[in-house]
Amino acid sequence: MIRWRYFFRQWPNWLAILLILLFAVAATFAPQLAPPRDPENTTPFQIVDQSFTRIPRPPDEQNILGTVPQIERLPLFGIAPGQDASYHWDVYFTLIWGTRSAFRFGLLVTVITAVFGITIGVISAYWGGLLNRLLMGLADAFLAFPIVAALWVIQRTFFSQVYAFFPELASWRWWEHLFYDLKISPIMLTLILFSWMPYARMMNASITQLRQADYIEAAVAAGASGSRIILKHLLPNAVSPTVVLMARDVGGMVVLSAAFIFIGFGGDIAWGIVLVSSRDYIIGLGGNPFIYWWSFLPFALALTLFALGWNLLGDGLNSAMNPRRSRFQ
Amino acid sequence: MASFLLYLFKRLLIIPATLLVITAVLYAMFLLAPPEERASLYMTSNPPRVQTEEAAQNMIERVIAENGLDDPFLWQYGRWLTKLLRGDWGYSPTFNAPVLELLRLRTPVTLELTFYSLLTLIPLGLMSGLLAGWRPHRAWDRQFRGLAFVGSAIPPFILGLFLLSIFYVGMGWFPPGRLDVTQLLLLRSSGFEPYTGFMTIDGLLNGRPEISAEALRHLVLPVITLSLVHWATLGRVTRASTMDETGKEYILAAHARGLRQRSIKWRHVLPIVMIPSLTSIALSAAAIVTGVFVVEIVFNFKGLSELITDGLQGPPDIALVLGFAVYSVFLVIPILLLVDLLKAVVDPRVRGEGGIGEQAE
Repeated sequence: MIRWRYFFRQWPNWLAILLILLFAVAATFAPQLAPPRDPENTTPFQIVDQSFTRIPRPPDEQNILGTVPQIERLPLFGIAPGQDASYHWDVYFTLIWGTRSAFRFGLLVTVITAVFGITIGVISAYWGGLLNRLLMGLADAFLAFPIVAALWVIQRTFFSQVYAFFPELASWRWWEHLFYDLKISPIMLTLILFSWMPYARMMNASITQLRQADYIEAAVAAGASGSRIILKHLLPNAVSPTVVLMARDVGGMVVLSAAFIFIGFGGDIAWGIVLVSSRDYIIGLGGNPFIYWWSFLPFALALTLFALGWNLLGDGLNSAMNPRRSRFQ
Repeated sequence: MASFLLYLFKRLLIIPATLLVITAVLYAMFLLAPPEERASLYMTSNPPRVQTEEAAQNMIERVIAENGLDDPFLWQYGRWLTKLLRGDWGYSPTFNAPVLELLRLRTPVTLELTFYSLLTLIPLGLMSGLLAGWRPHRAWDRQFRGLAFVGSAIPPFILGLFLLSIFYVGMGWFPPGRLDVTQLLLLRSSGFEPYTGFMTIDGLLNGRPEISAEALRHLVLPVITLSLVHWATLGRVTRASTMDETGKEYILAAHARGLRQRSIKWRHVLPIVMIPSLTSIALSAAAIVTGVFVVEIVFNFKGLSELITDGLQGPPDIALVLGFAVYSVFLVIPILLLVDLLKAVVDPRVRGEGGIGEQAE
């Protein structure tokens, strides 16, 4: 369905592939690019020696991109070491190791969301009738719900023990243990539960259309079972448009969760976590806004380019699949 | 007209259904919270200080018994819903005030920002998309695509930070916040009546247009930040459907009859193109509201988002969290309704055949 030759003739698609590859290389070779000083450290943060000022230190030989003071207080999901504000983080280290958290987050959330949404879309379209109406009504209701509010509710109910002021392991409920062990944070769960609707709607529309096709009727007449028709005949022909949505979502989810981290919910996009701290050095200083450029510019750029790469890829795939539509649909 | 009213009625019927689904989902989530937190939903004032663990346990058990927290889901949910309808939204220990009042006080700030953003992004998105799609691959189209591309690539909160750093820290033109702090204090002492809560309108109503101007100046950056990304999406959808539409025969016929370009563009193409465009706005209405909260926090607007930033610092406050969640749907629904009404105005087919589900596809 995707016309690959057309796809590879467009230069923005090469840019997309280049950007994603760049991040992928950084993620794969992180231990070589930015070797951690403490081999025990598995977090994307490297603590630089203690200092008693909360002013970012400019780049030097030891910290190629300077440092940023740690966040003073933030409910994190177990990936940031220490909560002591007198330490500084190394910018370059987080920039490189943050790619891993971004990829992990984006891909995991997108794939689970897509599978979830596609399943619901297929089920509702295949069985049709009342079930279809109910599920699509549910999708519409979910679409009317702002995701920040959902995140807050989930953080305070599903994960209330994890986020208690003094979390006691003993009082966690079983799902809290489960999600914690699977490293599924509230943001991930929220994004999965509240972004499946576009997939479901899209799948629903194309399956409803496909069901009328002659070859499906032929399969039914030949006595094929429901699951066989869905898996062998319907899914392969209907699933490709969702690939576009998925490509765009990988970047989108990462940026969205960085925004949520930024406004005070914890999370696991390392770039977003550092931005919470560097925010103080963008605003609140008279005159030149770029005195402490290293505290926010690398992360802002990394987030933007990450989203850009996936967005371009989505656009490229879209135009490679719909020949009549122009590139920026 | 009659069909229009019928459509409006049907559309209004969907709102309670949506709310019912959302509140049911929320309450089901709430039941997963531990009993102490669930008990806090039933506070009416700050809890008395409890000395021993045993006393605390007793208190919780009393609340559970009094409010029937062991009943089946539907019973509890029904009771909670009636409480909501009666205006009893619970009590927030973090802010030391009833939740509904907290929400109501901050609504105008958020609404003002949302309103001005929609006011800029819907007309601009429709117009620029239409003009770009009318003559594709010309100069204006290229500029539009470039800007739309930039707009959809930069994450809004990062764009907001950059705008602040350049236009406030660097140039000093557009400060953050709703008004300067000193100005707010002066207003409070000079008998400034908040009739509507919209600073820009209140200034005029109080006969002080300079306040309105100042409020508008504070709105510029947040509105740009919020509109840009949604303007880009809206513009792209409009552009694509304009390009589809201009190739059709009735447009050719209109040209042949000698109608002027301008009238074909705005009378014939615009209403048709508006339908997919407005649907795309309706689909992202909840995202717009989420965006409003984020932008408010970046620009230090003390709107509804203040409840998030302060609530996250405080003790667990389930009444506030649930109240906020239900309330934020009330911000989305007017946007959906507005979009649907606009669609019904331009397209007779929409009001002819009811179902929203069919229209959205």
